[in-house]
Amino acid sequence: MENILEVKELSKAYHGVPALIDINLSVKAGEIHGIVGANGSGKSTLMNILFGNPIVRETGGYQGEILYRGRRIHPKSCGEAIRLGIGMAHQEFALVPDLTIAENIKLGRERTWKFTDRLFGPKYSFVDRKRNAAGAAQVLHKLGLDVDVGIKVINLATNTKQFVELAREIDRRDIQLLLLDEPTAVLSKRDGLKLIEVLMEMSQAGLGIIFISHRLEEVGHICDRVTVLRDGRVVSRYNKGEISISQLARDMIGHRVNKAIAPARDLNTRPVISFRQFSVDMPGEALKGLDLTVFEGEILGLISLSGHGKLALGYGLMGLYPAAGEVIYKHQRIDQMDARANIRKGIYVLPDDRQGLGILPEHSLADNIIFTGNQVKNLFAKNMVRPFGFLDQKKADLHVGQLVDELEIKCTSIKQKIRELSGGNQQKVCMARALTVDPKLLFVAEPTRGIDISAKEKILKLLIDLNRTKQTTIVIASSELDELKRVCDRIAVLVEGKVFKILSPDSPEVEFGLALADEKGNQ
Amino acid sequence: MKLMMNTDCIKPPQIIILIFLAVLLGLAHFLKMDLAGLFNESLIKLVMNGVLVLSLIPMLNAGAGMNFGLPVGITGGLIGMCIAVNFRLAGWPGFLMSLLLSVVICGILGWIYGLILNRVKGREEIAGTFIGLSLIPLMNYFWTLAPFQNRQMLYPIGGQGLRPKITLEPYFYNILDNFSLVKLGALEIPLGLLGFYGLICLGLYLFFRTKAGRAAMATGENEAFARLSGIDIAGARLLAIILSTVIAGIGICVYSQSYGFIQLYDAPLAMYFPAISAVLIGGSTGRRAFIFQAVLGAYLLQTIYLLTVPIANEILIPEITEILRTLITYSIILYALLYRERQRGIGH
Repeated sequence: MENILEVKELSKAYHGVPALIDINLSVKAGEIHGIVGANGSGKSTLMNILFGNPIVRETGGYQGEILYRGRRIHPKSCGEAIRLGIGMAHQEFALVPDLTIAENIKLGRERTWKFTDRLFGPKYSFVDRKRNAAGAAQVLHKLGLDVDVGIKVINLATNTKQFVELAREIDRRDIQLLLLDEPTAVLSKRDGLKLIEVLMEMSQAGLGIIFISHRLEEVGHICDRVTVLRDGRVVSRYNKGEISISQLARDMIGHRVNKAIAPARDLNTRPVISFRQFSVDMPGEALKGLDLTVFEGEILGLISLSGHGKLALGYGLMGLYPAAGEVIYKHQRIDQMDARANIRKGIYVLPDDRQGLGILPEHSLADNIIFTGNQVKNLFAKNMVRPFGFLDQKKADLHVGQLVDELEIKCTSIKQKIRELSGGNQQKVCMARALTVDPKLLFVAEPTRGIDISAKEKILKLLIDLNRTKQTTIVIASSELDELKRVCDRIAVLVEGKVFKILSPDSPEVEFGLALADEKGNQ
Repeated sequence: MKLMMNTDCIKPPQIIILIFLAVLLGLAHFLKMDLAGLFNESLIKLVMNGVLVLSLIPMLNAGAGMNFGLPVGITGGLIGMCIAVNFRLAGWPGFLMSLLLSVVICGILGWIYGLILNRVKGREEIAGTFIGLSLIPLMNYFWTLAPFQNRQMLYPIGGQGLRPKITLEPYFYNILDNFSLVKLGALEIPLGLLGFYGLICLGLYLFFRTKAGRAAMATGENEAFARLSGIDIAGARLLAIILSTVIAGIGICVYSQSYGFIQLYDAPLAMYFPAISAVLIGGSTGRRAFIFQAVLGAYLLQTIYLLTVPIANEILIPEITEILRTLITYSIILYALLYRERQRGIGH
């Protein structure tokens, strides 16, 4: 069989940070090619390049070449990719919410009345609704879904939307290569199987499919070949028959050099906070009825694939998103998720989205460090009528100076604007703010994301020190498994907004890989 | 001191406006106009309009946008002055009573205004515009029907309803302008007026050094950060909006004592575009503003206003400078809005 797609030595970097490095990949006609990898391994970047997403060009294009049916292509827009016969079903749906199912499926290739075709030309011709509806219903039926195609997409459940998204691509007759980004992530097992059946049928008709999924079992089941990506590189490739789920999981996670290490302990302490049926309505990262108990003085890791809720715990507690359920903190119920009240009680949250939530970019790093402590705990305040009290600048500067030395924050002066600092130093400033607030229970989300290796180790070491010297209980939500394994006493794996399993950091990586992909037991 | 400094470098609007000002000054010199007299007047104009420009700062910095609802504060100030004039309070008692009443009335109006703006977060500017626009006809009824007694304020015929322009000549006309006026040859420096202006600047500067001010500033810069730090977002914004409204009320009192008339009815609608242009001309991007920018902008804009009219009269093409002036003022608002949109686009 001929190669429909051939990718040679493809590399791509975002602002100097490599996302893909020398990727080689080919897809034959009639082949289902699986791609697996952890978050940030470069899967989405690869899809964006193949589908001509403009973000690729805006951030400086890519190196390497893409051959499509033997011809060299360079897709600059999604429209161009579609004209070439490439289709894509997106993880976050590309549907028009106010149009009906039929209109969405047929968008851009509506059937029209012959008479008006001739009168006004095909572009301005009237749409034949009935035939479109019938066509759309037929495609959906093939996928095993029988719904009224006149319903607006906005009213549909998530899994139905996924079918509509797929139906739109399947309905195209000119399609030769189909890119599927986690098509089964939002589907139940049964719906997923139905979808897989359709996909296999389509591939037998000569269609090339790139199939991205976190469900390793599915990948092993339907793919003819599987490529594993890690940190932007191809680490391994297996043909059908050689695919083993545990091997895929091991390849996905990989091994790295360990530096900052805290030995795991068996802490027999009292619970400091417990969540019962805790739900947080954070878009794209919701928690749905989580039960979790955190013990005094421990470091607890939270890990999940993106979208499974590890980030939402702290934010929900701070009232950033609507939350429901019961939270007991130090034997007292927390009724209102109010940031001010909870900071006063000794809870603090360091966010994952540094630019969006973590810093005041136009303020100096000194202001950033003291802000929360000053506002909520009235630290460094001159004795005056509150809320109009002034800041005791001398006291504050002294404190900031100490922290800058202690945390080795690189800056020209403590009055330097924080947006001029590097990501690692910004994160250190955030840590310094947490130290200033001096919480009893600290939630940290993705503390090492987007910062260089030496700063990473420093941040991790700070967290360990904080825990060991001040007995601060720390909950770290991170997608970096090896970091969690080094630092934590226990690691909770979250799947679909619930705790799936709590593992010891000494558990083998395969076990984590399997738990993350929601695979029960040893297969 | 960071609020006092202009940390941004000079951008296209400032360059254009400076060139225009230089051309005007050149023309004025060429036409042998009284430059010293113009300078004296420019200082008066600065404060006359400058307080209104300063009133934009708290709202801008708290993230509530440019105050297109300036008529709210102005209305409060007008009511304050009308009450003082109604009781024939002349001189300092009249002016101080006007200020006091304005502050109280604007405090109440600002509180209501703030509650409304907090419900339309993200669209304060358009909401403010329409709150201003709808307040005007409401106030027109008030000016016509309110039981004011002073004959000098009422329509001469019929004796009911306030006049559109109430003269302040017998009350507190130029009271601040002439306070501690220092004469140095041809130059007249209105020290009292500048001192009053300086006091308001200092007050604003100090406000942003307080805990409440810092909270408001952080809210404007990064609301999500502020919320995560336990700041009462609505409260911080409300405080800033009330402060803006109160300063606007003081601003119209200062304006009126310079101008010599209390202007009622539709007059407040003519006030907010120049004020907003001024702060933008000063170099603010419309996201946050430094006091320095408000002062610089007010001075540049008002000096241009001041120069164009006599120059136009001299060179006998009265339309052209007026057209240029309007064009530049409004283009700068447009530029600032476009520039801000682009910045927002890059940010996300």
